[in-house]
Amino acid sequence: MDVMLGQVLISGILLGGIYALISMGLTLIFGVTRIVNFAHGEYLMLSMFAAVMLSQHYGLDPYVATIPIAVLAFLAGAATQRFIIQPLLNASHASQIFVTMGLSVTLMNAALMVWGADFQSVRTPYEAVVLPLGPWSVGVPRLVTFLVALGMMAGLLLFLNKTYLGKAITAVSQDRMAALLMGIDVNQVYMVAFGVGIACVGVAGAVLVPIYSVFPTVGQYFALTAYVVVVLGGFGSMLGALAGGLVIGVVEALSGYFISPGLKEAVYLLIFIAVLVIRPTGLFGIVGSEEMGVK
Amino acid sequence: MMREREAGERRAAVPAGYFVAFGIIGVLVLLPHVITTPYYLHLLILVLLYVALSSAWNLAGGFAGQLSLGHAGFFGIGAYASTLLFLNFGLSPWIGMVVGVLLAVVAGAAIGYPCFRLRGPFFALATLAFGEVLRVIAISWRDLTQGSNGLSIPFKPGFANMMWQGKEMFFYVVLVYALVAVGIVWKIERSRLGYYLIALKEDDSAARMLGIDTTRCKLYAMLISAALTAVGGVFYAQYVGFIEPYSVFDVNQSIQFALISIIGGLGTVFGPVLGAFIMIPLSEMLRAAFGGAARGFHLVLYGIILMAVVMLLPQGVSQELKDRYKRWSRARQSAISRRKGQADAT
Repeated sequence: MDVMLGQVLISGILLGGIYALISMGLTLIFGVTRIVNFAHGEYLMLSMFAAVMLSQHYGLDPYVATIPIAVLAFLAGAATQRFIIQPLLNASHASQIFVTMGLSVTLMNAALMVWGADFQSVRTPYEAVVLPLGPWSVGVPRLVTFLVALGMMAGLLLFLNKTYLGKAITAVSQDRMAALLMGIDVNQVYMVAFGVGIACVGVAGAVLVPIYSVFPTVGQYFALTAYVVVVLGGFGSMLGALAGGLVIGVVEALSGYFISPGLKEAVYLLIFIAVLVIRPTGLFGIVGSEEMGVK
Repeated sequence: MMREREAGERRAAVPAGYFVAFGIIGVLVLLPHVITTPYYLHLLILVLLYVALSSAWNLAGGFAGQLSLGHAGFFGIGAYASTLLFLNFGLSPWIGMVVGVLLAVVAGAAIGYPCFRLRGPFFALATLAFGEVLRVIAISWRDLTQGSNGLSIPFKPGFANMMWQGKEMFFYVVLVYALVAVGIVWKIERSRLGYYLIALKEDDSAARMLGIDTTRCKLYAMLISAALTAVGGVFYAQYVGFIEPYSVFDVNQSIQFALISIIGGLGTVFGPVLGAFIMIPLSEMLRAAFGGAARGFHLVLYGIILMAVVMLLPQGVSQELKDRYKRWSRARQSAISRRKGQADAT
């Protein structure tokens, strides 16, 4: 195989890991609450800023910062669920969409107020370290991100399938009413699920800091990609988020290589529209989820 | 006798409504002579532009229930079509407008038709992607659009160029645009299509079962909406004199159209009118009051107000006012009849 093409594929797969990592929280939250969180990207942006701040003020390495950031993000997510999403559960789609969009505007501009519009980044000793892999090379931060994505996926699947709380989350996502009748505290499950979803995006934000600069609108770019990934993989499916992330990462890398770097976004957005039209449940989605029937 | 009186009241109610409408239009026509400060006139032009654009959005998003976040796409198509024809071929923007409308209608059909079976947020996501695709294309097709540098339109006043000295003439043009847009929505609401739209928005499958071709109805609403939005894009380009992918294809444009409708009252004729008269001055006021204090602060307030209004008044401000008026007049009625009862008793 062409060495150059191989390198493009590797970077596509690693990019896919980043996308999968960002999308897992979104898909978990959707699977349980059936609400598309349009402020998802802003939670990513806030976590990235948190990692930068912890590094600047306390000298904390971004990878170590994942732990406190995940805890903070969990609390922020649970609070968001309790005070903003909870009242919307039975509201119209328009209200659900535009309240989370309003939240996105608020958070983005709050970040602009606090940190300004400049790009900020953290210097780490490993940011430019490259491992050789046969004729190709792999950047360490991207490899770490990829491994974190795999680890988080495994952790989430274990949590959802093995623990009581995880099973309760799965039950609520399958049938809210039946879960309620089985004695599950549905509102608490919502809070935990939303908290875990935001904690996932918190980890993603911290892990991305050695790779990307941070600025208040960074979330928008990643969020759009996360929607694409989640639709492709199927809303509510963890494995779908991983598969969707890898597909989009590779597609982006290949179209950047073969067509034009400027148009790679257009390519995957067109794929996105095509998937929505042809197979709205995605690769592994809940059948009928695009109909949004809350059972 | 009772029935006669009611009928008489109803007959009288129609001219009263027209009277109010003409009164408002009359006031608007005279406004440029009263408000001579260019800034306030500019604000009014913006308000009227958004009255029309949000009315257009409301047709698809409110009446047909297709929550589009891709209307910036139609807006941008209109703006770029007329501007490119004007700059490259010297074609009048009035003719460019026709081309822009046709292109927007084609685009509306292309995105709407396959996506109508998606519900709520999924339709929103698909249309969001549609708008973004157009933006990315506008950025990377440098030979045609000059990419992110944008296109500036040289100022050559004249009716054919849709440019005038001062803002008065533009105000009138946009006023006509707003009136036409609101009029079209008003007319549609009372037409067969309007009733079909209400039915399919309530329950798509029930409407289909009654023999309504729901896809066709949604498509009509979407196409009219796309066409009206493209017209707005042309006016915007000619008024501002400069367009770039980040301003005309911006997702925030789509969000703005939608929010104005939602705040005013989704799926009502006058909701977007009310919404634009509230939201545009509000955002300008916030910007003027707090824009200098700290970057982003006015938008934080804006976002919080949005969330609060959508959460507390999900039916929009117009419905809330209507309810309050009803409650008030009912209370008054019962007070009057109670007093009458007391008078009769004594």
